[in-house]
Amino acid sequence: MRPAATTTETAPAGRTETELALAPLWRVVVLNDPVNLMSYVTLVFRRVFGFDEPTARRHMLEVHERGRSVVWTGLRENAEAYVYTLQQWHLTAVLESDEKN
Amino acid sequence: MKRIELKLDLSMVGPLLDLMRRTADDLAVGPAVQAGVADLDEEWRATWRADLQQGRTEECRSLLAMFDREFFVSGVVAFDEKNAEPVLRACAALRLRLRARELVAISDQVLETGAVDPAQLEPTVEQAFVCYVFLATLQELIIRHLDTAILEG
Repeated sequence: MRPAATTTETAPAGRTETELALAPLWRVVVLNDPVNLMSYVTLVFRRVFGFDEPTARRHMLEVHERGRSVVWTGLRENAEAYVYTLQQWHLTAVLESDEKN
Repeated sequence: MKRIELKLDLSMVGPLLDLMRRTADDLAVGPAVQAGVADLDEEWRATWRADLQQGRTEECRSLLAMFDREFFVSGVVAFDEKNAEPVLRACAALRLRLRARELVAISDQVLETGAVDPAQLEPTVEQAFVCYVFLATLQELIIRHLDTAILEG
């Protein structure tokens, strides 16, 4: 009985490692609005994500022309924090599951 | 500290202040943009909303504080590294709310291109449009002259 009990005790640790390795990723997506200035959106991207000017401008143009841009991908908690910060700047941002991962 | 003073035409800006105050009051009740996280814990969502609401209130207070007694004497408003960020955000929030409430009759395309003839608008819509453009002008000035201060936080 002891060997079996030992196996039972170690199993949860193994599952935890697997769950962490497969932690789902989330995308922060900024949606277009017809109100905010292009220069404003570019500045917000630079401030919030630390993008350089060309990267911020590329995302801004993607939002403007395609209606949306994925500006960050990562763990849920961090993604929520970014959505919150973008809303502080009055940009429309949503959280999407990154199903590829 | 970098400081920008802007001399405004009192006869043009004065009539917009009531609309700006009303819109700021309106923003104290509801957000300029909707939350984009559907499955948040209710307690966390309430905290999130309350924090955003408090932020909006403080930003609008910073914007309206520029139009003080001194403004009505000299017509001058001032931006510096301290108020640039909250004023910039307040302008965004007010413009979003004006668009949603007062300027709904104008299409997105027309509003984006600015191809609006104010003379063709109803007086209340015309005033809202002038306010919308005025706030954008303030934003452009802040971004042009104080972007470094904002980026450095």
